[in-house]
Amino acid sequence: MIGLLAHNALLVSVATVALGAILTPIAIRTGRREWLQLVYGAVYTNFLLVSIATGLMIVALVTHDFSVSYVAAVGSRATPLLFTVISLWGALEGSILFWAWVLALYAAAVVWFHHGRAGNLVPYATMVLLATAAFFAVLLVGPADPFRPVFPVPLDGPGPNTLLQNHVLMAVHPPLLYLGYVGMTVPFAFAFGAIVSGEAQSNDWSYLSRRWMLASWGFLSAAIIAGMWWSYEVLGWGGYWAWDPVENASFLPWLTATAYLHSVMVQERRNMIRLWTLNLCISTFVLTILGTFLTRSGILSSVHAFTTGTIGYYFLALIAIVLVLALVLVAGNSEHLRSRGNLGGAASRETVFLLNNLFLTAVTLTVLVGTLYPLIAEAVRGVKVSVGEPFFNRMTIPAMVALVFLMGVGPSLPWGSTSWPEARKRLLPPLVAAVLLAAAGVLAGARSVYAILAFACVGYAAMANVREFWTGTRARHRAHGEVWPTALARLVGGNRRRYGGYVAHIGILFVALGVTASSTFRSEREATLRPGETLTVAGHTVRLKNVWGREEPQRSVIGATMDVLGNDGAVIASVEPRMNYYHVSDQPVPTPDVRSSIKGDLYINLQAFDANGAHATVKVIVEPLVPWIWFGGFVMVLGAGIGMFHGGRRSAEARAIAGGALPAAPDVARMGVGVGVGVGVGVDA
Amino acid sequence: MNWGRATVAVLTAVPVIALFAFGFTRDPGEIPSPLPGNPAPDFSLAVFAPGEGTLSRSVGDSIRLRDLAGKVVVVNFWASWCVACRDEHVALSETAREYADRPTQFIGVLYNDRQNLGLRWIEGMGGQSYPSVTDRGSLTAIDFGLYGVPETFIVDPAGRIAYKHLGPISARVLRSKIDSLLPAAMPTGMTPRDSAP
Amino acid sequence: MKRAPVLWGAGAILAVFAWLLFGGLQENVVFFLTPQELLAKGADGVGVPVRLGGQVKPGSVVWDAETLDLRFTVTDGAQEMPVRSTGAPPQMFRDGMGVIVEGRVGGGGVFQASELMVKHSNEYRAPKPGEEAHEKYKTLIKQSTP
Repeated sequence: MIGLLAHNALLVSVATVALGAILTPIAIRTGRREWLQLVYGAVYTNFLLVSIATGLMIVALVTHDFSVSYVAAVGSRATPLLFTVISLWGALEGSILFWAWVLALYAAAVVWFHHGRAGNLVPYATMVLLATAAFFAVLLVGPADPFRPVFPVPLDGPGPNTLLQNHVLMAVHPPLLYLGYVGMTVPFAFAFGAIVSGEAQSNDWSYLSRRWMLASWGFLSAAIIAGMWWSYEVLGWGGYWAWDPVENASFLPWLTATAYLHSVMVQERRNMIRLWTLNLCISTFVLTILGTFLTRSGILSSVHAFTTGTIGYYFLALIAIVLVLALVLVAGNSEHLRSRGNLGGAASRETVFLLNNLFLTAVTLTVLVGTLYPLIAEAVRGVKVSVGEPFFNRMTIPAMVALVFLMGVGPSLPWGSTSWPEARKRLLPPLVAAVLLAAAGVLAGARSVYAILAFACVGYAAMANVREFWTGTRARHRAHGEVWPTALARLVGGNRRRYGGYVAHIGILFVALGVTASSTFRSEREATLRPGETLTVAGHTVRLKNVWGREEPQRSVIGATMDVLGNDGAVIASVEPRMNYYHVSDQPVPTPDVRSSIKGDLYINLQAFDANGAHATVKVIVEPLVPWIWFGGFVMVLGAGIGMFHGGRRSAEARAIAGGALPAAPDVARMGVGVGVGVGVGVDA
Repeated sequence: MNWGRATVAVLTAVPVIALFAFGFTRDPGEIPSPLPGNPAPDFSLAVFAPGEGTLSRSVGDSIRLRDLAGKVVVVNFWASWCVACRDEHVALSETAREYADRPTQFIGVLYNDRQNLGLRWIEGMGGQSYPSVTDRGSLTAIDFGLYGVPETFIVDPAGRIAYKHLGPISARVLRSKIDSLLPAAMPTGMTPRDSAP
Repeated sequence: MKRAPVLWGAGAILAVFAWLLFGGLQENVVFFLTPQELLAKGADGVGVPVRLGGQVKPGSVVWDAETLDLRFTVTDGAQEMPVRSTGAPPQMFRDGMGVIVEGRVGGGGVFQASELMVKHSNEYRAPKPGEEAHEKYKTLIKQSTP
């Protein structure tokens, strides 16, 4: 019953979005703008229909309606309620349904905020969103139909993928990822609309699109950090990044989106690199689709690969269409899209931004080629190869260290041009922090050149960014006599976009510091212990107390209780690394116990155990500063949130929203709330 | 709209899309295996036991698998220390003679053994109708993924491994496999068996 | 802005970058080989990092919990390769299962594994009767349940 209802809702959705997409150009070409109201109505109707289907799926999951194929595939009466609900995105069909819902939400939000804007940009952007929605709706009634009837109805199901029901972060990472990924459709839609409507030479489209890109960037940043955290907490290897194709798939659009957020500023300030910015916007969307294709089609091997079906062919068709369409539009119109501005002096902020884009593009291409190389090698040379961490680390770390350094140089230099003595005066002081942090790293035992350089650059950029807040606040304090907190709040409030960017920089610096320290100073040992025996790693001692087992409805749990000993031999804490054996799978899921402090993590994983509890093999890893990575992720999202609220270009904004149907402020505030909710969820986890 | 530029741009997308389409024909998790159907690894090995009559090749000549294209090639790995090899010896020798006037070539490959021991073994077994070669360093055995001796590979006229036989092979199996691979059947009454002595 | 010098500059940067990139790939690519393919490389296969794929030969797994010394044999049906590794075997490690080990062939023709990857199957496979955790570890579970 539920299945039939939802399936019909999706069928109507296919028709609605297809009609809406077709109607748009007709309405514009024939000058019947009142028809556009129908198009916008189609967007809202689609949101309603997909919401109904998604809601029905949640109902089916919670009520264990095994006559619905997706529930029969991932449901189980023994699974706790939270994991039953989040299994909505735990497998292929459900994740496509969730994707369609997020896309419908974004499309509805775009129409809601921008429908009153004059010109053809928004209608064409709406058309792109509807066309993309049509693609996902077709998937949902065809190859990825989650509502197929099952007969005879099973009494119980296998439950969600065991890796996904083992940690609460799975409730956070996928929605954030979809909000980020799918959100990048919106800037693409605006870019498309700008070209087709001939508005690409104005900055209006970038005022519209960059805020959506910033929101998506914030979500995607949060998703990547949450994914790293999940991998760290669940996979039991004590690492958070392995350059796996699935990880790369989320990193690639993040890189181009970051490049876009910088290049769009150069475009607005200096009227330069307009075509390039447009390309970054389009590339970001193409990379989200490419990433989805790579991880859903099964053409690359990955530890996280989804089950494969015919869906890969559909995504290949989508990539082909988007790629061809984008290339035709951009290359065919490149004469009209070229920018006319010029570079100021060599020592200027835009130079740094151009270098930033150069390095980000280099990293993007490196990661892309490295990810696809196994496929290229097999197609061209017929050999099976894998490209592992050494390649990615060796090729990307220099560029990333350079990017961290530029993060300090950019904010220190003004737009336009400056004299060398002036530039020197701004650029030299942060070197103090660079030398101090590098020295600290060396004293702590860092010997690799890149690690020391990374510490130096993090120190440099940290001081340069913090200085921006310091000098600005001090100036306000002196000029207006404001108390320090007020001065800081007004400073940030006065130019939210700029200071939001600096906050995001500081977040990235936390991540960079955590990654550098935890990979440089990581120490680990593995040993088999009998009860009472101890293992010491880098000054941390643990003692095995006992090995135990426990029955739970959906799994058996084997655990080892261990004492963490202080320097005086007293017990300071107790940890319980476990191994979870879900009834549906012959592959157990490790559940390490992580003790975090500001100094770093003590990570204990149960590797093996004796069936009678006589001994247990444990791996103990000491990783300094890992929690700083998660905290840095939070700060990045905070920065994106601050940037969303900006009102510094209100006059331009007002011009952009001609017709004045919607003032600029409320929509900003509303979108800011969206980010705030994302942050809240991330913190709760 | 500049259609020329657009076309050039679109053409650059073609290899990318083709690459992904190619990806569908691959299973990244698959472990490649030297199973029948794959091209036989080529080799060029020196004859140490000449064989008899029309089938013989002079000692020291090398036999190159690639040169035998168009023929059904029977590659038999054997050793003097191998007990099971004695069981199949007569079947191989006689089948080779039966098919002497058909496009076939039998080759013995001495595996992990010394030439003089191999020669003495052939003498003791009453001769070998086809030539045998030595495989220094067992490189060819490794190429073929030898599991143990005896092991026999039948390579079709196109150079593909059509059949792989573990353990001693019988004349009946040899005949049926070779017959199925030979291009056309001989006229009736002229079966190869008639030419056997 | 004059176009030609900019294009030349961009081309030069791109060329250097491509050269670095493919140079890096040549040096850092890890070949995926079966025991047979690895053995076929002879001396060329010794000491270079490879990924060895195949099945765990039944009966070949020996693990010493005290020294954490793990030995087993990987076979592709044609050839086999002894593998040595340090650390606990993954919990799901068992005879006949598909594995990929990353490492290199050391002295004596033994493959020294630095990383052991068990091929996760995407599909669910319920444990066989007698293989269920609550069966296998029932003494442990009974002991600790009051």
